[in-house]
Formats: sequence, C-alpha cells, structure tokens
Amino acid sequence: MMNKCLLCQESILTKSDVLDILGIRTTQPAVCAQCLTQFETIGERICFGCGRLSHDDTLCQDCQRWQSNGKQLLEHRALYRYNATMKDYMQRYKFSGDYALREVFRSVLLQHLKNYSDYIKVPIPISDQTWLTRGFNQVTGLLEGCQYQELLSVRAHQKAHQSQLNRQKRMTRKQPFELIDGTINLQGKSILLIDDIYTTGNTMYYAADLLYSVGAQAVRSVSLAR
Amino acid sequence: MIIQPESLYGRLVTWPKVVAQPVKNCEILPTFKGNTCQRCGCRNLERLPRQQFYCRQCLALGRVSSLDHFLTLPEPNHFNQKHMLTWTGTLTPQQNEVSQVLVQKLKQQQNHLVWAVTGAGKTEMLFPLLHTALNAHLRIGIVSPRVDVIVELAPRLEQAFSKSDMVVLHGQQPLPYRYTQLVLATTHQLLRFYRAFDLLIIDEVDSFPFAGDRMLAYAVEQASKIDRTQIYLTATPTPQLQRQVKRKKLSVSYLPLRFHQHLLPQITVRYVGDWRKKKRQPTVPPTLHQQLSRYYQSGQRFLLFVPKIKDLAPLLDIIRQHWPDMLGESVYAGDPKRQEKVQMMRDKRIQYLITTTILERGVTLPGIDVLILGADDPIFSENALVQIAGRVGRSHERPSGLVCAYVTYKTQALRLAQRQIKKMNQLGNVLRQNNDE
Repeated sequence: MMNKCLLCQESILTKSDVLDILGIRTTQPAVCAQCLTQFETIGERICFGCGRLSHDDTLCQDCQRWQSNGKQLLEHRALYRYNATMKDYMQRYKFSGDYALREVFRSVLLQHLKNYSDYIKVPIPISDQTWLTRGFNQVTGLLEGCQYQELLSVRAHQKAHQSQLNRQKRMTRKQPFELIDGTINLQGKSILLIDDIYTTGNTMYYAADLLYSVGAQAVRSVSLAR
Repeated sequence: MIIQPESLYGRLVTWPKVVAQPVKNCEILPTFKGNTCQRCGCRNLERLPRQQFYCRQCLALGRVSSLDHFLTLPEPNHFNQKHMLTWTGTLTPQQNEVSQVLVQKLKQQQNHLVWAVTGAGKTEMLFPLLHTALNAHLRIGIVSPRVDVIVELAPRLEQAFSKSDMVVLHGQQPLPYRYTQLVLATTHQLLRFYRAFDLLIIDEVDSFPFAGDRMLAYAVEQASKIDRTQIYLTATPTPQLQRQVKRKKLSVSYLPLRFHQHLLPQITVRYVGDWRKKKRQPTVPPTLHQQLSRYYQSGQRFLLFVPKIKDLAPLLDIIRQHWPDMLGESVYAGDPKRQEKVQMMRDKRIQYLITTTILERGVTLPGIDVLILGADDPIFSENALVQIAGRVGRSHERPSGLVCAYVTYKTQALRLAQRQIKKMNQLGNVLRQNNDE
C-alpha cells in the first residue's frame, strides 16, 4: 500500500497484509516514521502537577505557586515536548491553517484519551474572530472521532491571541472564557480539559475555575505539547 | 495591517472576508469558482468545519480558503524611469539576429521560443529586448522553475541595468515584495500575480517542476496580461513545445552555436560492470579510476554526476581515501551548504564536486570536465544528459572538454542525447561555414 506522508510528502511504504487484500484496512499511517521520530515524547519522569520534564519527584515551582494560590492541581499530561519540530508543526497546522495536518496526531491523542474514559472531554475554545479567519478549532480537529462537549466559549472582548502575548501579559490576563450554557450544572462530574499546547497553565486554570464554579468535582487536563 | 495601493497592482492578495478592505476601490475576486482554486487552478480541496474549505495545492504560498477573497488592482504601468543598458559587451552576429527577432515579437505581442544550445549566451541576447520593454513602460517578469537559475541571473541583470530597480522573489527570499517594473522570480511566485506582465520570459522552460505541471502553466497564464508577449528559453525543449513548433503554433529561433563559436562536446560512453557492488554500495570501476588518476595528476577540475543521493557519501569516501590531497565535496538538493560548496568550486578552492542532477543546469563553471557514473539510470533523461554535457566548454580559454558516461548498458535516453547533440552540431557547422564565407 502507498500513501504520502502529510508532513514531508514522501511515499510511505507499508507491508501489505490481509486487511489490504480484503480491502478493509481502516487506518493508514498519516506520517512516515522518519518524520514521527522528530517529535520527542516527554518521558516518564515528570512533574505531577503540570506534566513537564522533571529530574526529581517534587512539584515544579510553577505548580507550587498554583497550589499556594489555592488552586486544585490539574495533573496535566502532555504527549510531546514543544521542540523545534513541534513548533514547526503548530506553525503549519494552526497559523498556516493546514487543517489536514490534524491527522498527524489524532489517533495518538485518541489512544491517550482512553485513560480518561469517565471524564467529560471539554476542548479549549477559539474566538469567533478566529472561526472566521482560521476556520477551525485546532483542538476539536484533533478530537474527531471522540465524544466531547463544547461547554466553553471565548468572551467577546478577547482580542489578542494567546500566542501574541508574552508571559507577563498572559499571567495578568482576566478570565477569557465563559460557559456557553449559563445554567449548566456539573455537580459531581469529572472534566478533562483539552488544549493543543500547555505553556504557562494560565488558560487551563481559568477554564478550570469556571468549571469548578458550576460544581465540577475534578478537573484534569491534557495537551498535545508542553 | 497597512497596505499601499501599489502592492496590489497586478497582484492577488488573500484577505479574510470579515476584515475590512485596506484599500478603497480595490477589486475583489472570489477565491473559488465551483471547486477550482482561482489562484492555482487546481481542485485539491481540503474541508474545514462548518462547510468551509481550502486549497491544499498552493498552501505553501499562504492558505486560500472559502473564508477569504482576493484583493487586486489592475496593473497601471506607473513607470516613468529612464532605463540605461549598462552592459558593455557585444553580441555575436547570431545572438544579435535572435535578439532582433525578440524585439519584433514584443511589438507584435506574440509568443516565441528560443532554442539555444547550452552556453549560447541566452541572457545577453535578452538585453536589447529588456531595454526596449523597460523604456516602453512595460512590466517585465523573468522567471524560471529553478531557484538557482534566478539566483545566478539576478546579479547579471543588476549589472546590465544598474540604474533600474528590480525585485527577486523566491521561497528563501527574506525580503518582502515591492512594486517594481522588473521582477525576477521562480515560477511558483507567479501564483501571486494577476494580469501583471506585458512581457514574461521563462528561462529553462523544460525543467522540473515546471514541465508538465498544470498549476504552474496556469500561473503563467494568470500572471500575464491578456495582451502580452511570452518568451520561452531552453536548450532542450519538451516534446510538447517541439510539437507546437512543428504545428506552427509557436515561432522559434535556433541558436546552435555557443557564444565562442565552438561546437558542443559529444558524450563519450565507457562500459563498466555492475558498479554498485551487490546492488548496494557504489564502487569506483577501473575505467573511472584511471580517469580520476589522470585528473589527480593534471589538476583538471571536474564534476562527477551520480544517480542517487545515497551514492554521494560512499564515493566521496573512496575518492578521498585514494587521493587525499585532491580536494572535493559532494552536493545534493537538500544540502544546507549547497550554495557554499558550489561557490567553493567556482572559486577553484576545490578540484571536484560529486553531485546529483541538481547541478545539471543553471551553473556555469568554466573549464571543467564532466563524468557521469551510472548514466543508464532512468533519472538521466535525454534532456538531463544534454544539459549535463552542456556544463563543459563554457569559456573562451577552454571551449571544449570531456563528457564521459559510465554505463552498464546504453539506454535510449543516452542514444537520443547523443543524437540531439550531433544534430545541433550539424546546424552549428553549417552556420560556421556560412560565417567563414
């Protein structure tokens, strides 16, 4: 069987097996092995609070600060490190707007989400303006084929993109989200927030605040990159 | 974002429908008609949520989606500058003849093919045409499918028209677009133009990826004005172009003699056995070994062409081991030091380069010889071989040289390449005899 790698356009050669002969193969690799190895997974040793690479088992400074600010830790888990290759991928997927590239990580992410089967999956939303220019939510793109609920929306006054702000500005930003349905009750429910990149954690904690305020019991989070 | 009206002249600028237009009274064109992208003419659509879609074919130049439209302004030819030809050389009688035909074609707004052997001095032949067009306030595009060709052409044009303003556009160009009368660009960049050029010159029109690429053919049409002249330059026209010439749909000028009036070197064939040991590691067959020792003794500079990237490193190792004080490098398309190594060869700091077909055209390295190991590989097409042979004998001082193909068996492409060279040389011979009389 032959198809082309979404990232480098090289042909991917896979051995034919009985599924191909019967014509019932449902999954084709979207990227070649060469490209896939350029992405680094985070590994086993991580900060329990935010999922970043860690050399000991204590909480990282950022998470200690979240905790001392009275936050319930998100126990965030990320799949990959935000290295040059991942940066390049995000550039092409989000900012060049190549929606087809969602396929690169879709199945990996879906596999990972199986660990959270009891959770309601809530993607981080994008603004209306982004819907009219980019035309897709990069998070829900990755979630195709998985049950999720869009509970959040971006409040109207939000103008600047997260990625255009520096760390200081991000940290002092006000609550960027609101609940789509103001009357929703999440009493006793577990929620899993999903985003493409976790940088400061600010976005995730704002979203978590909102969900806790309507009764959520536990909020955890997952992102593609960290 | 601030946009000057100038930057919309003859351009297609993608603009989100929801954002107000930056320039009053600009024309708005749809991005799609049916399923066809109006920038590249392809139907390689990819869906977006909410019934929207985008074109994946021309994505590298920025996304065109159903959420956008194009902004453009008609090309006004706002050029008042006086242009001077600051080139001091002279054309040979044959070059002069062709250049006069080109000026004629410009006046008649007709397309024309210049079929000139490698090293005929095509660029110099364009100067009178460019000079006429510049002073007639026409907008001119000079494009090539190959970025190397554009990069090498740019300084020569800047020298020939040192008072004229021009931009050079290609994928690796960090400088932004500017409105100028003269535009040098890769053919891909034409996708961003719309009815801009009165005169469009396409150099190396037969080369990859242009030949047979419908998107780029569409780009050429879109970027040209309705009333315009297109000039195609090549040493090795594609069968399609040759057919158009045969059917009298396209006029043609032949230039079978090189600028120094010498004939093209013919390809010599040497038979070697299976030079890839057990089909894997390449080796240096004995005949090639002898040739290399001769070069080692004489110091003669040469290019060694090989079929595959993976042949480069092992061969370089073998040659370096055998002749450690003969300096050389290897290059391929994706080599980060590609420009640097070619420059080293140009500066005579190294004696040889082992290369894939990327150096088949557009590079002028005076006084070299060319060896082609595995010339029977399908990658060496008829035209590729003629182009490779054309690297040899490009200076007055050394107007000829050796072109040697090492093959296990002789392919049809090799036979046709030899025939093409022979035919051009016959034409050239007639011309030389006429000159003598």
